[in-house]
Amino acid sequence: MRDNIGDRNGLASGKLRLAIALALVLATSALWAQEGFGTKAPSVTMAPPAAVVVHAGRLGKATLQFRVADGFHINSHQPKSEFLIPTNLKLDAVTNIAVEKTTYPTGQDMSLAFDPGEKLNVYAGDFAVEVMVKPLASVTPGKYTVHGTLRYQACDNAACYPPKNLPVSFEVEVAGGAAKQSPRHSIRNLADPKLK
Amino acid sequence: MQRNNLILVGMAVLVAVMLFFAARQSRSGQTAGGATVSAPLGLAGQTAPEFTLQSLDDKTVHLSDYKGKAVLVNFWATWCAPCKIEIPWFVDLQKQYGPQGLQIIGIAMDDASPKDIAKFAQDMGVNYPVLLGKEAVGDAYGGVQFLPVTVYVGRDGKVINKFFGLKGRAEIEDSIKKALSQGAAAGQ
Repeated sequence: MRDNIGDRNGLASGKLRLAIALALVLATSALWAQEGFGTKAPSVTMAPPAAVVVHAGRLGKATLQFRVADGFHINSHQPKSEFLIPTNLKLDAVTNIAVEKTTYPTGQDMSLAFDPGEKLNVYAGDFAVEVMVKPLASVTPGKYTVHGTLRYQACDNAACYPPKNLPVSFEVEVAGGAAKQSPRHSIRNLADPKLK
Repeated sequence: MQRNNLILVGMAVLVAVMLFFAARQSRSGQTAGGATVSAPLGLAGQTAPEFTLQSLDDKTVHLSDYKGKAVLVNFWATWCAPCKIEIPWFVDLQKQYGPQGLQIIGIAMDDASPKDIAKFAQDMGVNYPVLLGKEAVGDAYGGVQFLPVTVYVGRDGKVINKFFGLKGRAEIEDSIKKALSQGAAAGQ
């Protein structure tokens, strides 16, 4: 009899603990779900890019798709003031694949409600940066990964966040008639004499 | 047994709702430009943390140099567009309330060179000291994760409020008046 009561008490306290845990989980989830709660940080993300398939000695185009989180904007590549930090894609120097040209989209003009006369030029939502690459004529066919960073500085309508660097990478597949099994190379590794 | 389970789940939901509103209440929910919150600083009512920073004209400045004055400490950066909107207001307000005992201090939380910061300040006609910020000073004031951040200190040296993000000029002026009136007897 005493054992049964003990079991029942144990079961009840177990349920109580479960109920408290459930309450905490629910409350925490609800708080996290709140937008504009002061903890929401701006972010820029990159969609997984398609590999650029190109023959050695030819030009290939990589289209890098970025997304700025809702409610935020970042300066375009050519903001309207010398003091604003432009969005800039910096790709690591490589020896066997040349980055010929980087093309940024035109930004949207916008102004803040408190100062409609002051124009900013920004990216918001989705935007794409195009990179023209050209493997050297002598490069071995295979897959190469180009690494770099997108530097950006985000704001919302009332505040600005310190500049950030988003790691960026995309693959360049150098096509070659004889190469059936494409070896993987990392351009960063090939560029490092210690790893050659 | 089923009924007991329902009661427990009901209690859990009730507690969750109470926790949610309690947590929300602990931060003031005023929005600026619909994007950021203005939360009272944990230090509100306490003595403003002392700092020592270099000014653009290479002077060493301490917060305590302004003892007895109402001080508006504005954390900003040259790359911050909302900060640029506030600065002309601060210039006007310094002119207007300076004779009554207001001192505005700009703290540049910038990677830009002092020369560039000085050029920016000169272009904006800044008429108050601009200091070269350090992260430790921001941390002492509860952290500066984004800009602008403005802290109002009364004449008695106690923090009145801290605002995150761009605020309207009227709101800034109201806070200045509060800072001027707080501890007026102590400061004079």
